[in-house]
Amino acid sequence: MTQHVSPPRDGTGKAAPVDGPPPAWRTLTARADVRTLSLLGVLAVLILIGGITQPDAFLDTRNLQLVLTQASVIGVVTVGVTFVIMSGGIDLSVGAIVALSSVWATTVATQEYGFFGILFTAVVVGVGCGLVNGVLIAYGAMVPFIATLAMLASARGLALQITDGQTQVVTVSSVLDLGERDSYVLGIPPLVLVFAAVTVIGWLVLNRTTFGRRTVAVGGNPEAARLAGIDVRRQRLYLYLLSGLCCGIAAFLLIVLAGSGQNTNGNLYELDAIAAAIIGGTLLSGGRGTIVGSVLGVLIFTTITNIFALNNLQSDVQQIAKGAIIVAAVLVQRRTASTH
Amino acid sequence: MAPEPPLLSMSGITKSFPGVRALDGVDLDVQAGEVHCLLGQNGAGKSTLIKVLAGAHQPDTGTIRWRGEDVTLRSPIAAMRLGIATIYQELDLVEHLSVAENVHLGHEPTTAGFVVRGRAARASTAQLLKRLGHPEVDPGRLVGDLSAAQQQIVSMARALSHDVRLIVMDEPSAALDPDEVDNLFRIVADLTAEGVAVVYISHRLEEIRRIGDRVTVLKDGRAVAGGLPAESTPTSEVVALMTGRNVEYVFPDRPSGPPAAEPVLSVKGLARQGEFEPLDLEVRPGEIVGLAGLVGSGRSEILETVYGARKPSAGQVLVDGRPLRPGSVRAAVRAGLGLAPEERKAQALLMLESVTRNVSVSAMSRFSRGGWMDRGAELSAAREATRELSLRPDNPSVPVRTLSGGNQQKAVLARWLLRGCRVLLLDEPTRGVDVGARAELYAVIRRLADEGLAVLLVSSEVPEVLGLADRVLVLREGSVVHEAPARELDEHRVLDLVMEGSPAS
Amino acid sequence: MTKLTSRRGMLFGAAALSAGAVLTGCTSNDPDDGDDKAAADNQPAADDKPGKQVTIGFAGPQADHGWLNAINDNAKKRAEKYSDVTLEVTEGSNDTAQQIGQIETLINKKVDVLVVLPADGKALTQVGLKAMRAGIPVVNLDRIFNSAQAYRCWVGGDNYRMGLNAGHYIGERLKDKPGARVIELSGPDNLELTQQRTQGFDDALKNYSNIKKVARQAADFTVESGQSKMAQLLQAQSQFDALWNHDDDQGVGALRAIEQAGRDDFVMVGGAGALSAFQAIKADSGVLKATVLYPPTMAASAIDLARALGQGKGVGGLAEYEIPSSVTCYSAVVDKENVDQYMSTGFK
Repeated sequence: MTQHVSPPRDGTGKAAPVDGPPPAWRTLTARADVRTLSLLGVLAVLILIGGITQPDAFLDTRNLQLVLTQASVIGVVTVGVTFVIMSGGIDLSVGAIVALSSVWATTVATQEYGFFGILFTAVVVGVGCGLVNGVLIAYGAMVPFIATLAMLASARGLALQITDGQTQVVTVSSVLDLGERDSYVLGIPPLVLVFAAVTVIGWLVLNRTTFGRRTVAVGGNPEAARLAGIDVRRQRLYLYLLSGLCCGIAAFLLIVLAGSGQNTNGNLYELDAIAAAIIGGTLLSGGRGTIVGSVLGVLIFTTITNIFALNNLQSDVQQIAKGAIIVAAVLVQRRTASTH
Repeated sequence: MAPEPPLLSMSGITKSFPGVRALDGVDLDVQAGEVHCLLGQNGAGKSTLIKVLAGAHQPDTGTIRWRGEDVTLRSPIAAMRLGIATIYQELDLVEHLSVAENVHLGHEPTTAGFVVRGRAARASTAQLLKRLGHPEVDPGRLVGDLSAAQQQIVSMARALSHDVRLIVMDEPSAALDPDEVDNLFRIVADLTAEGVAVVYISHRLEEIRRIGDRVTVLKDGRAVAGGLPAESTPTSEVVALMTGRNVEYVFPDRPSGPPAAEPVLSVKGLARQGEFEPLDLEVRPGEIVGLAGLVGSGRSEILETVYGARKPSAGQVLVDGRPLRPGSVRAAVRAGLGLAPEERKAQALLMLESVTRNVSVSAMSRFSRGGWMDRGAELSAAREATRELSLRPDNPSVPVRTLSGGNQQKAVLARWLLRGCRVLLLDEPTRGVDVGARAELYAVIRRLADEGLAVLLVSSEVPEVLGLADRVLVLREGSVVHEAPARELDEHRVLDLVMEGSPAS
Repeated sequence: MTKLTSRRGMLFGAAALSAGAVLTGCTSNDPDDGDDKAAADNQPAADDKPGKQVTIGFAGPQADHGWLNAINDNAKKRAEKYSDVTLEVTEGSNDTAQQIGQIETLINKKVDVLVVLPADGKALTQVGLKAMRAGIPVVNLDRIFNSAQAYRCWVGGDNYRMGLNAGHYIGERLKDKPGARVIELSGPDNLELTQQRTQGFDDALKNYSNIKKVARQAADFTVESGQSKMAQLLQAQSQFDALWNHDDDQGVGALRAIEQAGRDDFVMVGGAGALSAFQAIKADSGVLKATVLYPPTMAASAIDLARALGQGKGVGGLAEYEIPSSVTCYSAVVDKENVDQYMSTGFK
């Protein structure tokens, strides 16, 4: 941090109490770094565990590709959810929106339009659901929890109605090919490239744009944001649109990955995404959070799942560990928050 | 000393909060059957004193004697058991419960210790309400559906549902119509006739003269006068006791003549139902206009309505002669208005963010192109603005929550400076700012005015308004009762106006 | 055999998409199980001469996945075959209270026989008892009631035998291979039926000392989970000889993962009987060589039994005067040899 040593100009000529400059480690940037470092530490420990228990299967390029691919779908959703939570909102409908987008984009009728028909439909359905959420919350003055819970129920119901409970297998080869090894770019699966792009764009939007600033302001203190002249309602609308957009992109990735659309897709994504964001340091009450933290949260969860599967541990153990990690992460955060 | 010991005798009560000594050795004697009035300006220590009496605060030192015996009021329940009931200004009723349930909350009549006897509760509540002159209130109605006056009656019924010896009433008439006030006084008279003592807090001297027996005046945490006769003490003496202060305010010099420019802000017939009456005012560039009045006089409401944060029920706000869209903060900000609100932390600051981001939040478009922030330009502009106001520390990257109150206020002012605002609305600008830093803030505000800003200032501290403003509007219960250049007013005159409400001249 | 149970739990919402099933004869290729009904509805029914008119009330859960769709279709088509049967079908519901209400309405309408596939067997026991007391015999389909007094006859599938038959099929294919390695992709662990299928599979493998189950992961009947868990299993096990996947729906995802990993060095056996699985078995171009049935034709059988109850008849092919109190359908293995026979019963 730059410290300016020029003598303070004093307009009144009267003495006034002076705050001592806080130590550099207390500044915002440094605090964010501590949090990110601790998440990286957790990830490093996990990698160590994976490497020791399964040296061959875990420390392997294919496994790295696998973990990143598996993280892509939920990762893209989490980036959107992070914005919403940072603004003090919540989006419980992301899993259902992914499901609806994925089935709408894989109906026989949509598939006739090929690759772009599927991509376009997935994104438009996602954005459309986000628009409904946003209008209800921003202009209908509905509590986000309730509005998105209603969206969860209706989107799942609509997805079921579209599919009639059947699995819609994708026959468009250009879509399927995107999930095959032949499409890897320099060894990186296209899904992972999309995830990386969404992460970078999300980071830039949050940290380098007025949109990101407004998001933080609305989440940190909505009344102050309003009195500072920010259009709080319009910002909220945009945030749920953004979350819907991420769901649409994630739905397309899921179609590529699973080669099909199904009304059960995106099961419990809302909880996974919220958990990842919170582990990544996003305050559930809004106003603070980082994209990097959220993405690390996703990677931590995916890596745990991977290590457990490679070690053939069963789902009961996996669930217990997942719960324990959420609690531990939140406790560590509270400690960090109180000591800094 | 009367042979009978006083009902209540508090002596040498002190109470400190971080940074503030709220009570500094207060003595208070209350006799059974009297109405004892407490007077004092905002911040004189009245609220703290009644909270000590209610058992909500524990005094640091001092003794409390109740009917001649030393007691410790460890909790509100302990006070209640002795027979001390408090009716706060902010009524502490549960809106979603019925009248009877509220009245008996915490001491419900029960069978076998846990089955609530609803009918018995309603019957006794009906009796209490009748005694209080409001038999029309249905004990089964939800408190949230009642009027403010009725809620106060419920609160009083709750106090009387205990075996009460002393009732503390904190500005009970503030929310009442004149005929309801008459009823209130009748109740007070009935109670005192039964030997119950009443500690009565009010800003309205005429009320104190009507029902009070004795007056204790608090100032800066001390009882500057105790047991004055309520009817015969001259107003001027009471006001002098309330205002004589230890703190010296240093105000900057005013410019010699009134500014000649056209008014930048004009308010015409602006009103909000139930909050303030139609109001006209004008502020010229370079001018500081002050609104003086007590809590509840509608000051903050006026400021927030001018700013568009509340929607007016009538009238309009014009900037440079052009009317603003009513109820739109964004329209006001675009037109060049800026508000430094009363609750700085709750209404103005992003406490998790740096000073820079707090300062730039209203002017982001200045540092962005296509939504993309130029952080270098933002930081240097924020640095310039905060230096202009001598904000310390001289490092806009520190979190705003590490700043002192005065510097946080400067961060808010810097925000509007950066925005290029032309009309600054200041609501209690020195609240939570310690005495030394106030003078500096005053100088900053005056300098901003000298540089051409129009300033509309609201403060409950009369000397602040008088010292800083060029022109003062005195408010009483939502209406302007007087307007005059600040140099033609003094504190006594203003306090007379806000308490006695003599007509505007 | 009544302890075989019930797909309850699977019903609930999205997790369910379950085990598919097949229209195949519940009992057609296993005379031990008790009656003589033919499976597919194009085959002659046991006693299809018109008799006394019977009104059958049918109450099932919401058809939120293919197997339950197939259950409803089977029941309706079977009833249409009989000129003497009137079928009163309620709107499917996963809400216990709503289903109770629907069944009570059927009782009040005084239908002759009830066929009930409860959303939750335990929760609907009372209404089953109520119907029985009112003199309406109840045919309990698949998810079993808590009390035997609540139904006259139970018809359902055999999860344990699904695992058993899958294990035997794999065992026979690998019995000459020393040190053979097998993995299992199960359904959700919180369902009793998953435990039963796994138990059956393990019990069957005990007969083959050369075979070892080296890994097991649980998916949750969804394509997405099938893809994800299978991808991890493939990464964990660089070499194995056979895979049993409990459910053909999640199998779509599992096959996608296998394709993405470029693996073809093992044999895969599915479960339930989805059309896509049958087609893959018939084409014989991939790893999927067989699937084990959980037949939705049990609904057609339930209609047959209900009709017999309503007309006061027994069923042909057995010496009994009365119809059996319990019918457990067989979990047949479908492979390339017999897949054509089942093709029409595959569900989407």
